[in-house]
Order: sequence, then structure tokens, then C-alpha cells
Amino acid sequence: MKKNNIEGWLFVSPLVIWISLIILVPIYIAFELSLFNVKIIGTSGKFVGIDNYIKLFGKSKFLNASLNSFYWIIGNAICQTFFAFTIALTINYKFPGKKIMANWIILSFIIPTVVVVVIWKLMLSSSSGVINSVLIDIGLLDEATGFFSSPNKAFISLVLINSWRWSPFLALIILSGLNSINREMYDASKVDGANFVQQFLFITFPNLKSVLFVLGLVGTLLSFNIFDIIWLITKGGPSSATTTLPLLIYETAFTKFRISQAATLSIVTSFLLLLFSIIFIKSMAPKEDD
Amino acid sequence: MIKENNIKLIFLSLSLLLIILIFFFPFFWIITSSFKSPEEIIATSTTIIPRSFTLEHYNKILFNSDFFIYLKNSLIVSFSSMVISIILSVSAAYGLHKLKFYGNKFVEYSLLVTYAFPGVILLVPIYLLFAKVNLLNSYFALIIVNVLFATPFAVWMLKAFFKLIPNEIEEAAYIDGASRYVVISRIIVPLAAPGIASVAIFCFIISWTEYLFASILISGDDLKTLPVGLAGIVGQYQIDWGFLLSGAVLASLPVIFLFVFIGKYFVSGLTEGAVK
Repeated sequence: MKKNNIEGWLFVSPLVIWISLIILVPIYIAFELSLFNVKIIGTSGKFVGIDNYIKLFGKSKFLNASLNSFYWIIGNAICQTFFAFTIALTINYKFPGKKIMANWIILSFIIPTVVVVVIWKLMLSSSSGVINSVLIDIGLLDEATGFFSSPNKAFISLVLINSWRWSPFLALIILSGLNSINREMYDASKVDGANFVQQFLFITFPNLKSVLFVLGLVGTLLSFNIFDIIWLITKGGPSSATTTLPLLIYETAFTKFRISQAATLSIVTSFLLLLFSIIFIKSMAPKEDD
Repeated sequence: MIKENNIKLIFLSLSLLLIILIFFFPFFWIITSSFKSPEEIIATSTTIIPRSFTLEHYNKILFNSDFFIYLKNSLIVSFSSMVISIILSVSAAYGLHKLKFYGNKFVEYSLLVTYAFPGVILLVPIYLLFAKVNLLNSYFALIIVNVLFATPFAVWMLKAFFKLIPNEIEEAAYIDGASRYVVISRIIVPLAAPGIASVAIFCFIISWTEYLFASILISGDDLKTLPVGLAGIVGQYQIDWGFLLSGAVLASLPVIFLFVFIGKYFVSGLTEGAVK
């Protein structure tokens, strides 16, 4: 198709301008703030140059939060891939009630995150939670456990809750990829004697490349940015075990009132995410033949 | 052959059971719990079938709280964000996937990369920016942010639908003397309608569930959205579970209601638009 430069840009520009304004202006403000020493919002501070940046890298809190964010992304990627593929491959079969399930599996994604928090706070409550009483009834636990009381348990519980919210949505996107695969390829492979594990590895997976590319990129960025589920359940605790970078930024800005430090953190984090995105796109972007 | 089918059947039943337990049971649980007496909700021994039934929690939240104010705010913000997002993303998707211009791949990827920023990273500077231009405590502050969250992915969702529309239809219309406006409103939009419906519901959901910015950019009680109102109850030291659960159920109803009518477009939009 012939290129249509001016009109093309004309159609894209409202959105591009909207997004650039709301991202670039704030990033500039944050960068400016990071060079000063401002504490409470609205007050002024003195110019300190790159002092905030130098101090940041020596802080154990920053290292701890970066590590937590790293584990958070990996944990969510593993859990969500497992759940999403299980759902997608299951719904891809014919069974009674398939339509209803395909339509409503996404329930956990369409409800507000605060409701997700309410559901799991109630179900995982240590004093009256249904999960505790079921685990005790079937003999897996001797007494009720606090799912958010120890650092490891809290972290794993949060990963599972977040995966619970996102997996169905990802499953539907994977399903779209599955639907676009030519059925004949499966039939042909069957004639050649392939079993369903081989079919998955050599037909299903390679054909999902372009879908998995977007999920890998957007999914990682979205997981990284998760804030409300963690904040509303553990506030980053116990003993900072669930403080990821977004929580650290929030805490620094709105409970410790160190605005310049929070801005510095934001700039460093943006830089890391941008770097990740560029590397990811350069190395993984599927070749497209238009 | 029969053996492989049996294995498949066992796998299928097991995963179905797992999916129902994990992804559907929790909803059964909070809905039934919201009708239980306060004593039963916090009882240490739990039974699957409720032992009590009461409407007191719903009574309290509907007639004795700010629920309707929050509901109104959430509806206004979500609906406006949705309309603006649709206009911007349909226009951008048309430009990106139907017109092709110099730099379109760059714009396409840059849009996805914007997901690197939304979130807490922008919270502090956006707060300062909005304070400067007097946008704090206004619906528009939330709408601006929600559109930013929703549109990049919306454009990507529309891509599949726009690619399915053959270029010949458009070209034929131009030969017949149709203007671009006519082509878009009479051909592109109707043919991409399921895609636009999916994008609409996606944008609505994103705005409906947004909590972080709504909790910081809005401080007046009369402008708070439902998630912020609910989170206020979650944060209390002594949680009134019945009140909270009925609130959670009610806050989910509007999106569920919307989903009953256009949900099938959303799901088929996600699953049938051959993503290539």
C-alpha cells in the first residue's frame, strides 16, 4: 500500500500529543526535582546537582526494592504463564458450558483491584478465612496460618493474588493467537505421528510469537508497575519484604515527604524500564511482512 | 488413539475443576458472605452453605453511606474516559494500520513502551503539574490519566480488526467519489464495530478499577470514586466486613452489568480477531 505521510500523522497526532504531554512534561518536572533537595510538596529546596543520584545507589532500601521488583516480575511471569496457558488450552477444547466459561473467566480482571483485595483478605484471613479452614480440614495445616505474616509467605501470596487478577485476561489474548493457527497443521502433524506435547512445542508455541512478544513486553511493564494490590494488603511489609520500587517511590513521596528523592527514584526507574523495553523490542520484535 | 483421548479427558476435567475452584469460587464466596450475619462472616469454623441470611449490610451501604456519590463520580469519570479513549484510539489505529506513513512502526512500538511510565513513576510529577494548572480535585484530572492508561493497548487491540478490513472496499469507495470522512464513518467504523466495542469495555474497565491516581489527585469527599471509597474501609483498623463485602459486590455490579451486554464482543474481540 502506498505511503500517506501527512494524513497518517494527522490521524495519529491527537493521541500522540495527548500521551507525550502527559508523559514528557511530568518526566521533565521529575528530572528538575531530582536535582534539588525538596522535601514536602510545594516547598522549595536548594540545588544539589547529581547528589541525589549518588546517594541513591548506596542506599540498601533502593537495592532491596530493586531486588523485590525483580523477583516480583519473575514470579508473576512464571505464575501468569502457567495459569494463562492452562486456561487458554482448556477453553480451546469443546466441552459443555465452554461459551459461558470463556465469557466469564475474565471476571477477576473486570472488577476493581480494591475488590480483588477485599476477596483475598477475607479468604486468606488468619482468624476466619475459608482457605485456612479448608487446609486444616484436609489435614495440610495443623493450625491457622497468617498468609501475610512472614516475608516469604506474604510475597508469594501477593504474586498469586496478582496472577489471579491478570491470568484470565492474558489467557484470552493467547486464545486469539491459538485461533489464528491453521487447524490443518495439527492434522498434518498427527498423520506424521506427533503427540500433543510435540504439537504444543513445534506448532502452537512458534505460532504465538507475535502475541507472546506483546505480552512479554506489556506484561512485564504492567507487572512492574503494580501498586494498589501490594499497598492495600501489606503496605510493603512485613519488614519491607514486599516493598517493590513503585511502593518505595510512593512511600518516599507521600509518607516520608522526600519529594526530590522520590523524583530521583522515578527517573532512575524510568530509565531502567526504557532500557529494558528497547532491548526487548530490538531482540524480540517479530519480523512483519506487510 | 483411545488412550490419548482418555489422557486428554482427564487433563481437561482436572484443569476445569482447578479453574472453577480458583477463578469462580471466590466470587461465590464473597457474594454469599455479603448476606451473612456479622458473626458468621468472622466465625472461625466456616461452612460452604451459608447458615444465616441478612440484608442489613446492603441496607447500611445504600441508605447510610456515601455510596451513591462515589457511584456517580465513578460513572462520570469512566464514561468520559471511555468516549475520549475510543475517539483517540480509533483515529490513531486508522492512521497506523490503514494509511501507513513514515515512522509508523516507531509510533506503534512507542505507544506500547508508554506502559513503562504509567504508574507511581508519574504520580509525583503529575501531581505537581496538575497543581500548577489547577486540575487537582477535578474529574478531568482522572480522565486525562485514564486515557493515558487505556489507549496504548486499545490501539493494539484495534490493529487486528483494521487489518481484517480489505483495502479494496476502501479503494472502491474512493473511486465512487466518497470522502475520507464517509469512508471512515460508513465503512471502517461499522466493519470494526466488534473491535470498537471491545476497546470501549477495556477502557471502561481500566477507568473503573483505577485506584492509585484517584486516591492522590482527588481529596474532596464529594469527588471520590468507588475504589477510593472502598479502600477507605479496607484501611480501617477494625474492618466492618459485612459493610465492606456488600460495598465490594455493589462496586462490581456496574462493570458486570455492562459485561452482560457487550462482554461477548470483548471476549470474541480478544479471541477471534486473528492477531497476525
